[in-house]
Amino acid sequence: MEELFATFGIDGKLIIAQAVNFGIVLVALTYLLYKPVLRTLDERAKLVAKGVEDAERASQKLAGADKAAAEAVAKADKEAADLLASARDAAGTERTRLVKEAEARAAAIASDAEARAKEASAKALRDSEKEIARLAVLAAAKVIGEKK
Amino acid sequence: MAITEKEYATTTGEASYGGHGVHVVLKGEPIFDVLGFTVTNSLLLAGIVTALLVSFAFFFGRSLKMVPGKLQAGIEWVFEGVLNYMAETLENEKMARRFFPLIMSIFLFVFIANLLALFPGIGSMGFTHDGHFTPLFRAPAADLNATLALAFIAFFTIEVTGIATLGFLKYGSKFVNFSSPVDFIVGIIEFLSNLGRIISFSFRLFGNIFAGEVMILVAIYLAAYLVPVPLYAFELFVAFIQGVVFSMLTLFFIKLAIMEPHGKEAH
Repeated sequence: MEELFATFGIDGKLIIAQAVNFGIVLVALTYLLYKPVLRTLDERAKLVAKGVEDAERASQKLAGADKAAAEAVAKADKEAADLLASARDAAGTERTRLVKEAEARAAAIASDAEARAKEASAKALRDSEKEIARLAVLAAAKVIGEKK
Repeated sequence: MAITEKEYATTTGEASYGGHGVHVVLKGEPIFDVLGFTVTNSLLLAGIVTALLVSFAFFFGRSLKMVPGKLQAGIEWVFEGVLNYMAETLENEKMARRFFPLIMSIFLFVFIANLLALFPGIGSMGFTHDGHFTPLFRAPAADLNATLALAFIAFFTIEVTGIATLGFLKYGSKFVNFSSPVDFIVGIIEFLSNLGRIISFSFRLFGNIFAGEVMILVAIYLAAYLVPVPLYAFELFVAFIQGVVFSMLTLFFIKLAIMEPHGKEAH
């Protein structure tokens, strides 16, 4: 055994020295390299997760906004159509009313004119009758007066 | 009694072929002493690997950005991949995060150390003392002390995790089980295989890296140009694979340790 140790130069002190050397590597690298790098990885993973979540939320919000906009447009369209329809409706009724009114007025004017014409002719007739009677009386008086 | 060259080699861990040329040393060699403590060339390179890793971690860790550059993106990709794989293997996200530093550090340390050992100048820079060449740097994994240290760390982590997760008695029942003779034998085999991991961990890494060094050394000795190139390429691959193997095995053994023992209720 001792021969083996001598052949390979095995020495407890050297083993301890090598172990201490490796221990320094282990401790130094743990605090200077592994922990900072793993922390960076974790932070980035968190950041990426947050980014993805944010993007998802944003796209959800966007989808919601799209839906709301579409709804608003649809509503506005419907309202406009309703308004147009009711306006057309109202315009239609107004026109018929105006036409009817105009017709009524025209009819009234016509009947009024007719009545007035009738009256005028009647009056003319009456006037002429009166004139004829007066002329007859005058003529009679003249005849009487000549005889006298 | 005369000592043959082969016997000399086994006792000192050195082997030389034909007295010159390829010079293979099985162990780390002392470079200098600090307060009675001998620093070997493999410990020296291990220290440099540590300095490189720590300084890189220091500057990189401070320059992290939410929007990553290419380097940061690459490192994040690796870390995230390893962490996900660990979470899948351990079937526990929290556990994966707890053991991530150990698994990642084993991989980085072994990989960078192996890689650095292949750099030109490492292994060829050194000094000659009494006609004996001593390289200034040696692959840490080509020294059994380094691989044993890693093996012990992995072993204790595995066992302590098992005890902490299952409790001492439940974890112990994996090894000491009197419910039936078969279970008793299985327990002993389990115990030995757990202990054997220290040896398999350390010798696997040591053997691979040491063999690679020797192979390149021999290739350079036989044909200095072009021939070692594919070997270097292969050793780059081995440098990576050994880092992966050591860390993955640690991960799998942790998973085995935290699994419920196969009792009657499990069947």
